[in-house]
Amino acid sequence: MKALLAVLALAMTNETVVLSADEEARAQALMREIRCVACENEPISQSASSMAVDMRDRVRSLIADGASDQDVRDWFEARYGEFVLFRPKAENATDWVLWLGPFALLLVGGGLAYGALRRRRGDPVEAVAPEELQD
Amino acid sequence: MIEIGHFAAILALFLSLAQGVSGLMGSRRGAGLMAVAAFALMSVSFGTLVNAFIISDFSVQLVANHSHTLKPFIYKVAGTWGNHEGSMAMWCLVTIGFGAAAAGLLNTDRPKLEARAIGIQGLIAAGSMAYLLFASSPYTRLDVAPLQGASLNPLLQDPALALHPPLLYLGYVGYSFVFALAAAGLIEARIDRDWAKIARGWAMGAFVPLTIGILLGSYWAYYELGWGGWWFWDPVENASFMPWLLGTALLHSILVTEKRGSFAVWTALLAVLTFCFSILGAFLVRSGILTSVHAFAIDPTRGLVLLFGLMLYGGAALAIFALRAHTLKGGPAWTATSREGALMGNNLVFTVATATVLLGTLFPLIAEGFGRQMSVGEPYFRLTFVPIVVIALVALPVVQAWSWGKADLKGLGKWAAGAAAISLVFVLLGVGLFDIPVFAGLGVGLGFWLIGGAIWELKRRALVWNRVFRLPSRVWGMTLAHIGLGIFTLGAVVETSARYETTLDLAIGQQAEVAGWTLTLDDVRSVEGPNWYADRGILTATRGSATAVLTPEKRYYPASQMPTTETSIHRTGVGDLYLALGDRRVIDGAVRWTFRAYYNPLIDLVFLGVSVMSLGGLIAMLRPRRKRVTAERPVPQEA
Repeated sequence: MKALLAVLALAMTNETVVLSADEEARAQALMREIRCVACENEPISQSASSMAVDMRDRVRSLIADGASDQDVRDWFEARYGEFVLFRPKAENATDWVLWLGPFALLLVGGGLAYGALRRRRGDPVEAVAPEELQD
Repeated sequence: MIEIGHFAAILALFLSLAQGVSGLMGSRRGAGLMAVAAFALMSVSFGTLVNAFIISDFSVQLVANHSHTLKPFIYKVAGTWGNHEGSMAMWCLVTIGFGAAAAGLLNTDRPKLEARAIGIQGLIAAGSMAYLLFASSPYTRLDVAPLQGASLNPLLQDPALALHPPLLYLGYVGYSFVFALAAAGLIEARIDRDWAKIARGWAMGAFVPLTIGILLGSYWAYYELGWGGWWFWDPVENASFMPWLLGTALLHSILVTEKRGSFAVWTALLAVLTFCFSILGAFLVRSGILTSVHAFAIDPTRGLVLLFGLMLYGGAALAIFALRAHTLKGGPAWTATSREGALMGNNLVFTVATATVLLGTLFPLIAEGFGRQMSVGEPYFRLTFVPIVVIALVALPVVQAWSWGKADLKGLGKWAAGAAAISLVFVLLGVGLFDIPVFAGLGVGLGFWLIGGAIWELKRRALVWNRVFRLPSRVWGMTLAHIGLGIFTLGAVVETSARYETTLDLAIGQQAEVAGWTLTLDDVRSVEGPNWYADRGILTATRGSATAVLTPEKRYYPASQMPTTETSIHRTGVGDLYLALGDRRVIDGAVRWTFRAYYNPLIDLVFLGVSVMSLGGLIAMLRPRRKRVTAERPVPQEA
């Protein structure tokens, strides 16, 4: 009877660890940012390979043991290297180029555009509604 | 037969060169004639390739490597461009075709500009043809012809993917002609309102197929790869997304040049960059320097040749740009809060967004050069690309009502109040009733903000509702494109924040729950197709009184010794129940079938939104039905 129940529990999902709804949501979010090491370019959430199944199980059991999101990331990084993280780390100067580069570019670009505008401020400006222009 | 094609292609190469020389020397008629002749020859050449695939002529190496007698007819034809050499031949055909189309369609009062543009298109075609003939010739014969071919990658035997490459190429190559026009304009140092009137149609003509091409690729990945998602920030996807982003900036920039004569420098630069990124995309995909699930047919030497071509053409164009940019004339003065200012912001956001995608795509490659193995994936783009683009999306409904030169900012308080109200409603509704994260609530609000804003703008231009159908097609095109953007935003936000995914292990007769649906595995059967056999799972899904049968398959193509997944999707209109069959496993002595199960809420809106956007582009290309000259009120002619 017990064996039958165990089989039935397994039948629902192949993930052996059962988590609360909040924990499951965290686990799924993490699975989308950990790279399957046996696949081309997929997070473990998407892959059907047995490697990904094992890695998903590991995420769930770590969370069941009370690991924080960062603990889970660290666990995988320690074993498979930085390659496994789809969310790049933000630790040294190079990482900050990656993370802040786009925003810096936006600010610099905006500044340059505004600067170019100020230079022409002397000219008289005429407002023309879009409707009044004709080809 | 194939030798005739080979010979025709060689002639087409020389004709393209001649087209380039005569065009640059200013002969509109000569360049046009050469372009048409080159197109006729290349059509013959491409025809012989298609024919070799149809009749399964395995003495042609390309056919032997990529086709099979048992393949359905349509995939024999599509197999022509389902591989590197054949797709390059198609690229050449389209490139030459654009030259011929320009020769036939261009009819302006600037024959020198036309001649030079057609000439530059000829040089681009000649470069592509040289690459085709010397670095990736599809015309090679085999000494001993095999009896059977090695078939086409079965993942590519799909209607969406048969059309995906031709459409992408139409887009990329379409931008190559805008590039040619920009280079011709720069040589004359005249990128002005007349120039923009000519270039606008071509830019729109490239935008529409590129958008549909990306849409088909995304839709294909959704139902064929069995991953449950529609966008993966995969390097190959990014490679086609970057030209799209720049091309979209270009479309908006051209409008300013057309209406006001301003932004000539921006427009020229964007035209050059869009084309460079199209080639860069081809380089990234073809060279194999990126790990990607989409990268088929890769070869590093070809990558180097492409990189060389990119530096040659892109470098030449940037050099002309650097020499001429300061001579381009600007339009009338404008302040920061004006239509020009808003579109300048749009240019900036789209350019920075492109740079972000480029940074995220190339960063792991550069890091690898320094001995660091790392990945950049979806979480990075969600935290950088998305907030940057959201700036433009939030501003759009407000600034599209702004006047040229200087906007009347009196209504700004009302807009702010409206935005605050929408945010509040959706955050409260989302967090309170539907239990979604705050950001998702704001995202849904943004979708409605965009749709409502687009409709509001339509009404504002028509003044009264019953006039909206008398608005010019360009205004309708703009409205639809922006509504499509809103629909897409709704779908993308809901799908990414509320998607449910799980793995099931089922024995026959067993049940499982997925997002409120009860799934029963009724049977797993062996089935056979023309060139494959498969395991087909048969599952009944019930939710309340609704019932559906899902039949996911795992196919095996013996010719290419490759398994593929055929997902089964039950569409409810508000979400897709999505199943992919995985492996057969034995657990505790009992046979189990593994399934990846997903519930994707509102994913249809993602595809619908992009479709509406393309439709908007298409409508904006239509010529006005008639020019009305009414005295009492000018006809709105704006987009």
